[in-house]
Amino acid sequence: MKKVLTISTLALAMSTAANADVRINGFANLIGGITSSDDTLYGYDDNIGFGEESLFAIQVSGDINDRMTATGQLVARGSDDYEVDFEWAYLTYQVTDKVSISAGRLRLPLFRYSASLDVGYSYHWVNAPRAVYDVPFNNLDGVRVDYNTFVGDWEINLQAGAGTYENEIAGGKLEGSNTLVFSAEATYEWFKVRGVYGRSNATLEIPDLAPAFAQMQQVSPELAGFLSLNDDSGTFLGLGVEVDQFDWFVSAEITSIETEESFSPKDVAYYVTAGARINKWTPTLTYESLDGNNDIKGLDIVAGLPAQLQPAGAALAAGVQLPFMEEYDVITAGVRYDYDTNVAFKADVSKYTDDIDESNDATLVRVAVNYVF
Amino acid sequence: MLKMHFKKGCLAALLALTTHIASADVVMVVHPSNADAIDDKVVKRIFLGKEKKFPGGASATPVNQSADSSVRSQFDESILERSSAQVSAYWSKLVFTGKGVPPTEVANDAAVIAAVAADPTAIGYVDSASVTGDVKAISLN
Repeated sequence: MKKVLTISTLALAMSTAANADVRINGFANLIGGITSSDDTLYGYDDNIGFGEESLFAIQVSGDINDRMTATGQLVARGSDDYEVDFEWAYLTYQVTDKVSISAGRLRLPLFRYSASLDVGYSYHWVNAPRAVYDVPFNNLDGVRVDYNTFVGDWEINLQAGAGTYENEIAGGKLEGSNTLVFSAEATYEWFKVRGVYGRSNATLEIPDLAPAFAQMQQVSPELAGFLSLNDDSGTFLGLGVEVDQFDWFVSAEITSIETEESFSPKDVAYYVTAGARINKWTPTLTYESLDGNNDIKGLDIVAGLPAQLQPAGAALAAGVQLPFMEEYDVITAGVRYDYDTNVAFKADVSKYTDDIDESNDATLVRVAVNYVF
Repeated sequence: MLKMHFKKGCLAALLALTTHIASADVVMVVHPSNADAIDDKVVKRIFLGKEKKFPGGASATPVNQSADSSVRSQFDESILERSSAQVSAYWSKLVFTGKGVPPTEVANDAAVIAAVAADPTAIGYVDSASVTGDVKAISLN
């Protein structure tokens, strides 16, 4: 319902803007990949595939008046059989030169490259490091305020977002309400630092876990209440730094995501990337790591149960948590070639090492063409 | 007058030949009525969409050159300190987040001068040899 409302508001705004200045831009990422034999990674296997990360998008924006702009982005993703979806649709009101307010469906300012995550042309990777960037709450239905200013030679950018999100994960539906995100970024010529704090009330029901939770409810309602993800407060913390000296650059981001009173493990992820710019070539090296392999939560509640219920309680607590624990790292060597000011070619090779189950280890080779217009 | 321009043009062409292509001088051009103090920092901020006004508070309209021109690549590299591909990657970030619209592009020096001469808020750049009396030239070096 909310989506329909957003889109029709936008459509109305667009038609009002039709007489004014309407801009149509687009971008495309065509990405093909193949893994080492009998391995799978990011949906790729040992037959070359183009559907996992490729996407095509059209953006239409129109100035409604001097201060208001309507923007809609239609995206067709290979992973969704290229079904077209209105991923963004929002109105922006430019309050002053420094302050703007956007409302609708928009991107949360969680990461350095959040805003242009889908625009492959805007970064040096074939795709942004998944250990950090692959979160199920990149888009927000709500409001975002952006503030930009200069303090001496420092460029300051502050963003605050509030609203709700919804996404499908692990066969279930994830909903976040009362989501608040604050980010601050400071840039001094070649140096950039940013910090993010976010919080949300998350609810996630996974059908596959329902029988286990039903049993747990009988063993210990307290344990089931503690481990279920039902309107539980989650926090997001992020920190990023970047040094860009034109001829070379190094950057890193670290994030922590935790919903303490739930079966969902705490994930700490980071990446470090470095590259050189040699005419049209940008060779890069990226290391990324995710640690979501923690102690089983709720065992203190299990310890308080009658002795005969403890084994069942412990088994159920572990049973709902272990499938979501992850610990892996990926090292990627890649190269970008700027063919033109709107076309880039890229290739990379990634080595994925799973620290929990080494049978998941894989090597992936990808090639990409990025286009913007 | 026409003759003098012609002579100047010949001289510039000769100079360009003798001093080789890479050292052609890029100068900023603004409307003759523009009295703002403009340095490379101001230019950088305006052409990267980070500032919408001149230091004096009047609104600024940057005029860019088309991506295939040599003046453009020189401007991008010496003033913006990025390759043209990087500048375009930078703008793609802003365009696809609804945060900005890149400066309009015109075909050549003559078109920049025409645009700047007609608009008191405009700021552009040209090869110093192309400057005419219709605009005010500012050298950043």
